[in-house]
Amino acid sequence: MLISLAQNVVSGILVGALYGLAAVGLSLTFGVTKFLNVAHGELLMLGGYASFWAFTTLGMDPFLTLPSTIVFMVLIGALLYKLLFSRMVKLTEDVKVKNTMLIAFGLSLILQNVALRLWTADDRSITTSYSGVALSMLGVRLPVVRLASLVVAFVCLMALHLFLQRTYTGKAIRATVEDWAAATLVGIDIHKVYLESFILGALLAGVAGALVSVGYSIVPTMGLEWTLIALVVMVLGGLGSIMGTFVGGIILGVTQSVTSYFAGGTYREVVGLLIFLLVLVFRPQGLFGTKQG
Amino acid sequence: MLEIEGVDAFYGDLQALWGVSLRIEEGELVALIGPNGAGKTTTLQVISGLLPPASGRIRFRGHDVTRERPDRIVAMGISQVPEGGRVFTGMTVLENLELGAFLPEARRDKAESLKRVFRIFPRLEERKAQRAGTLSGGERQMLAIGRALMSKPKLLLLDEPSFGLAPLLVEQIFAMITEINAQGVTILLVEQNVRAALELTQRAYVLENGRIVGQGSGNELLSFESVRRAYLG
Amino acid sequence: MSRKAVAPLAFLVALALLAAFPQVVRAGNIVNLGCLVLLYIALASSWNILGGYTGQTNLGHAAFFGLGTLATRLLWLSGKPLWLSLLASGGLAVAFALLIGLPAFRLRGAYFAIGTLALAQILYLTVGNVFPMLSALPTEVLATYQLAPRYYLFLGVAALTVATSYLLVNSRLGLGMMAVREEEDAAESLGVGALKHKLVALTASAFLAGLAGGSFAYYHVGYYPQLPFSPVWTFDTVMIAYIGGTGTIVGPIVGAAFYVIVKEYLALKLVDLHLIVFGILFIIVVLFLPGGLADVWTQLQQALARRRRKLAVAAAHRGPASDQPGE
Repeated sequence: MLISLAQNVVSGILVGALYGLAAVGLSLTFGVTKFLNVAHGELLMLGGYASFWAFTTLGMDPFLTLPSTIVFMVLIGALLYKLLFSRMVKLTEDVKVKNTMLIAFGLSLILQNVALRLWTADDRSITTSYSGVALSMLGVRLPVVRLASLVVAFVCLMALHLFLQRTYTGKAIRATVEDWAAATLVGIDIHKVYLESFILGALLAGVAGALVSVGYSIVPTMGLEWTLIALVVMVLGGLGSIMGTFVGGIILGVTQSVTSYFAGGTYREVVGLLIFLLVLVFRPQGLFGTKQG
Repeated sequence: MLEIEGVDAFYGDLQALWGVSLRIEEGELVALIGPNGAGKTTTLQVISGLLPPASGRIRFRGHDVTRERPDRIVAMGISQVPEGGRVFTGMTVLENLELGAFLPEARRDKAESLKRVFRIFPRLEERKAQRAGTLSGGERQMLAIGRALMSKPKLLLLDEPSFGLAPLLVEQIFAMITEINAQGVTILLVEQNVRAALELTQRAYVLENGRIVGQGSGNELLSFESVRRAYLG
Repeated sequence: MSRKAVAPLAFLVALALLAAFPQVVRAGNIVNLGCLVLLYIALASSWNILGGYTGQTNLGHAAFFGLGTLATRLLWLSGKPLWLSLLASGGLAVAFALLIGLPAFRLRGAYFAIGTLALAQILYLTVGNVFPMLSALPTEVLATYQLAPRYYLFLGVAALTVATSYLLVNSRLGLGMMAVREEEDAAESLGVGALKHKLVALTASAFLAGLAGGSFAYYHVGYYPQLPFSPVWTFDTVMIAYIGGTGTIVGPIVGAAFYVIVKEYLALKLVDLHLIVFGILFIIVVLFLPGGLADVWTQLQQALARRRRKLAVAAAHRGPASDQPGE
């Protein structure tokens, strides 16, 4: 039925926005620092549980606790950077990418199992008073929570864009990406830029996680799935373009939904991974990339 | 103002500088000349903190800056215009200049510095909203120098500002360099173009194969083989 | 005894001891642990050929393992002889490896790693879809199930894997592989065909992992066919190789034993604590101990040797008179 297909497409767009948000965080961190943080999904998971915790313990609405979740993620990001990744700054790119990937892998195991001990392996979800409310447009159901998440994701990315374009810190980040040696000659502290980029990445992951916890569900083992999603979308969208990555997320979301509609549930993940491999091998700069992948 | 004593520098296992020593007094315009591959850029890298020396000392206005971080060295008043300028091509001329005033002290006087830079390089003002990637070679060099000036340096290091530029442009740029020096900025000019360098300044060091083989005025320097070759060849 | 003879001799001695093990130790659960250690030795050693010696971090190792389990489970349970099924296991893994090898090796470094991860994940999801039913050994097989033959099969595969590693590493091919690991472009310009060496390493790695998978299928009573394809197997393998020491023969062995023993010990107390511990150890190894436990051992040996030399030099300087007591 056409309505059913349309419903799928809309669902795909709504979840795709979160894919995009998750991917932009990873893309930003990787683009600046060349740290391949494969624990990005676990950071997303942490954001989700932070939001969940605030809701169940303090009874606070997840959209209202976004600022505190952000603060939490900034602290976590700074801590992890200082503890684990700050030594990696001076390495050559190949070694840096590989070693940070390995470290992040170890980190993902730790975070995953810590979360398992704290929250058990059950799926969790935040159900607010308005969780069941949905708009209806031409027979397609638009859950209010997911619509709000789409808006939040979009606003976050706009804010990020403005930050990078208009603020000194943002411009310093852009300059470092382009030419780090020239950036130091202008007085930019590369270590600080790396720290800021890592924190931004963690922050965006956390916000995405918070939105996932209210619109979908979270579980300690969700990290790998979301890391892969972020990687797929990062590669699909291409480095250097926030909007490109966001669109990439939506493309993945819709592709998954449509595949699920025609070929069944399991293949929705498979199709994303296939796209990933094809892009990696045949068009590594992605659809909208402005820099080398 | 700047004292370099006995600096050795390595790229991995490859020694690039052997016991390099030189000094620059405040207000001077000193040149560091030598053939390709002599180690001139390496010397600037060491001064700017991008390459830590294996031995030796660097003192700037009394402070030991041998192992200082590059961004701190800029804060202390040494700015380098690297070879080729290396402007941020993805950003506009204005953004490049603003980034030059990144450090808090420089940022305070940003408006004033901008006026100063535009006075020296009026062409940059014309193109201030243009992306740096669209500028010509000469304009990029001007932008790079302007960007370095935005940090209000006491000592300006210039790495081959004439490289790849047409002779007329070289003359223009060098005229601007003279003016900058006249305004009170000490300058260390690294150049392969010996004739142009010796026209600008009275004092130069000669660097050959990573060693300072002498210093002096234009005539004195003609006694050096490499200098003679550069003039005649 | 020449230095070159030490390693093969040690190997044979170890083999003899390990062969005697199930005859001496009767407790089923301990022999089981032995099986696990040997399985992980096989997995980590086979991974090491491509990941440790050739420097290509393969995060899709579970795919070879899983394909191995599929082949043996299907063939053996349908009546084919075990040796044939095992051969098919190795073969299937190799076929898959060669299929994806050429496109995969277009990717370098970490991109190769996440590419192989994605590939293995695709297999994992697909197998879960195609073979959703539990694979249990039929009652006739269960009735005659004995642990000892499984143990010896694991021992054989582990021994074969370690021996292959050793022979490869000490051959010209091995030199080439390590050259590719250190400086691929430089090696290429010297005439070392990087792609060829990577493919050889990949083939060996896949075949041996496939055999390990076949052994697993022969051993495990009931499991979901999707399980051996799970990325958990790859991650365990990679961790073991790193903690033990990549690029060494001894590393994967030490790592495997360490891993299984610590896991057993911690499992007695708190269920998944061992993963947190290994995560931390893994990070420590990457940051501070790039050679893993094997390297710690070598560094200890070198430190001791240095100390011995220093003492000898000091004694020589003092002269023979100082050997007299009461000086």
